[in-house]
Amino acid sequence: MTVQQPLALCLHDVRKQYGDHVALDGVSVEVPEGSIFGLLGPNGAGKTTMIRMVAGITAPDEGELSFFGTPLKQSDIANIGYLPEERGLYKNMRVGEQALYFARLRGMSKSEAEHELKTWFERLDVDGWWNKEVSDLSKGMAQKIQFIVSVLHKPKFLILDEPLSGFDPINANRIKFEIKRLRDENGTTVMLSTHDMSSVDELCDHVALVNHGTKILEGRVDLLRENARAGRVNFKFKGNLIAFTAALGASAILHNVHSTEDHIHEMVLGIPPQTPIEKFLKWATHEVDVLSCSPMSVSMDEVFLRAVKKAES
Amino acid sequence: MRNWLTIVGREYKTRVRRRVFILSTLLGPVMMVGFIALIVLLTKSQESNSKILVVDSNEILSFQVEDIGQIPSCFECFPEREFLEYRFTTEGLSTEEFLESDYDGILEFDDGILQNSKALLQYETTPSMRVKSAVKRDLTEAVERLRVKQESSLDYETYKRLKVKIGLVTQDVETRDRNAESKTIVGWIFSMFMFLFIMIYGMHVMRGVIEEKSNRIVEVVVSIVKPEALMAAKVAGIGLVGLTQILAWALLSWFLFLGFGTYAESTGMLTEVMAESGNAVSTTDLNTFMSSHEDLGFLMQINWLFMIGWGLFFYLGGFALYGSLFAAVGSSVEQESDTQYLLLPVMIPLMFSYLLNIQILESPETTLATVCSFFPFTSPITMMVRLSMGVLWWEVVMSALILILTVYLMIKLAGRIYRTGIFMYGKKPSLLEMLKWLTYKNR
Repeated sequence: MTVQQPLALCLHDVRKQYGDHVALDGVSVEVPEGSIFGLLGPNGAGKTTMIRMVAGITAPDEGELSFFGTPLKQSDIANIGYLPEERGLYKNMRVGEQALYFARLRGMSKSEAEHELKTWFERLDVDGWWNKEVSDLSKGMAQKIQFIVSVLHKPKFLILDEPLSGFDPINANRIKFEIKRLRDENGTTVMLSTHDMSSVDELCDHVALVNHGTKILEGRVDLLRENARAGRVNFKFKGNLIAFTAALGASAILHNVHSTEDHIHEMVLGIPPQTPIEKFLKWATHEVDVLSCSPMSVSMDEVFLRAVKKAES
Repeated sequence: MRNWLTIVGREYKTRVRRRVFILSTLLGPVMMVGFIALIVLLTKSQESNSKILVVDSNEILSFQVEDIGQIPSCFECFPEREFLEYRFTTEGLSTEEFLESDYDGILEFDDGILQNSKALLQYETTPSMRVKSAVKRDLTEAVERLRVKQESSLDYETYKRLKVKIGLVTQDVETRDRNAESKTIVGWIFSMFMFLFIMIYGMHVMRGVIEEKSNRIVEVVVSIVKPEALMAAKVAGIGLVGLTQILAWALLSWFLFLGFGTYAESTGMLTEVMAESGNAVSTTDLNTFMSSHEDLGFLMQINWLFMIGWGLFFYLGGFALYGSLFAAVGSSVEQESDTQYLLLPVMIPLMFSYLLNIQILESPETTLATVCSFFPFTSPITMMVRLSMGVLWWEVVMSALILILTVYLMIKLAGRIYRTGIFMYGKKPSLLEMLKWLTYKNR
């Protein structure tokens, strides 16, 4: 894949082993600047290991990580926000105090942190929680605080491990909106891991799929979809199905044909990549009465299932 | 460094402001002193006026006066006291008669006492220490007066002037320290607190580590600071909490002691106690009282500044050592109940040095005691006892240096276990596995 955009993060041939277990086996990933990058894969695929490396918690055994063009170093931490998967807060601290503590650790001054916190608390409807005991918060409430804590210092690069799990649909949408807003308004690059494919469809510009410690797919979401679609279109016409099929010959493949009594037929047509869709349409209108023709929509779910299947075979 | 201090500050602040901490800090010394005061008060208030019947059948101590009855021949010997009253008689009482009478004790005085210097006091209700020591003093003076009169031409005042009572002061020729044996009790109290604080706050470290690990906060924090630094900050912050409590207890106890002193001086309690113990010194001030008191005098001879100074050093060193071990244990488990067998190797040297103290109190200068006061895992506790008895300066300095060095190494080693342990979930590790973590590469 040729990438025109500058890269926020680049993992090059990264390897990590824990005892006998190989968590990552030579993985390379490129995260373009200003994108929302989805890191996908089943449990135990190596996502969390990758995330921990980027967050500076672990270092690779082999390979390199570069961050905005230079090797990742300790001082980059100030530009990284990190929301780990299983989240917790200190029970013996109040909400505001706790948020301030993490902001201070991220190098913010107290007044700056207070100002930012105020904005975020209002934005996520949690103002008035400042003096609440953490033990009084519900899971969803606590997660909002944790989200705020990870974005408070305006990081250039934000790592979110399963950011939407545990939220109800309303708050999940809220968080999705905020993630997009961070990208659009602040130019933040976001790397998120998730199991939820619908949120990938909604959120991500780029994705990488890892399985068993290796990357099996990476790219722009629209291009991956295009690829997975493999020239398939939803096609609907009125006319003689047998004649149409005969005329088509071997130039296209038919799937899922549905026919009605008044000779209306609906199907998925696989058009070979070398045939432009315009050329096919021109031909088809001569043969039958074309009612509709649109590129088939492919869900990311399908993209991944195919990729996993392909990788395993 | 700034982040490190922020973490230390959090560990410290969140603990110091807990209600449990504030209450135990304030109430600790009050309860200790209060407990002692309560015992004293209870025994005092129960103490009614004791009435003792002296059966003086041979009229050695008393004589018959018509219409009044038997009176002591020596009034100075049996002074009037609010808690003790004597009656004299020549005829003994049977047990039944005694039980029915309003006397609390009965003392038969005969020639035997003059020869053996032993008297038998029979009682119905156990006499208090105060009554016993007063009776002892009174009888001694009475018998002394009799003997002086019978067997010499001196008057009693001259005899008293001539009589000597030798006090024995012991001194170590090397350290020039005096009365070292009784001072060990102070060292023992120091080391007991050392043991308690290392253990209580060590457990705090362990629980803190487990909390951070089990709710994954640790991941956020170690993405900002190194795991070793986080561990050290935790140990430091909690160590300071312990230090705060120790200092607060010391200060509060000192104020309570001063307060008690003022009270005792103003009520004349000290003079009373002095008089009862037969001491001629009439004093109203606590310091003089303590210095001249046979059993308390050593307290005034202790170099408190020296003890407290070294005490603080050995506390900080010992806590850093054990605290990092507690942290390593905490890092390798996900819940406190899994720590038990891992805690054993940490607790054994701690318990051992604590138990060893009892032996050191008996015989202070054994080789074991000396060795243990250098061995870093026992020295914080053992050295306190030895310090109170007086140790050569180079021994303390040597022990301190060994401790500092070990603390440095232990923080490194425990840090290695910690940085691996905090990311290990699932099965409980064995000790062997934890040792293997020591060899794991950095992160």
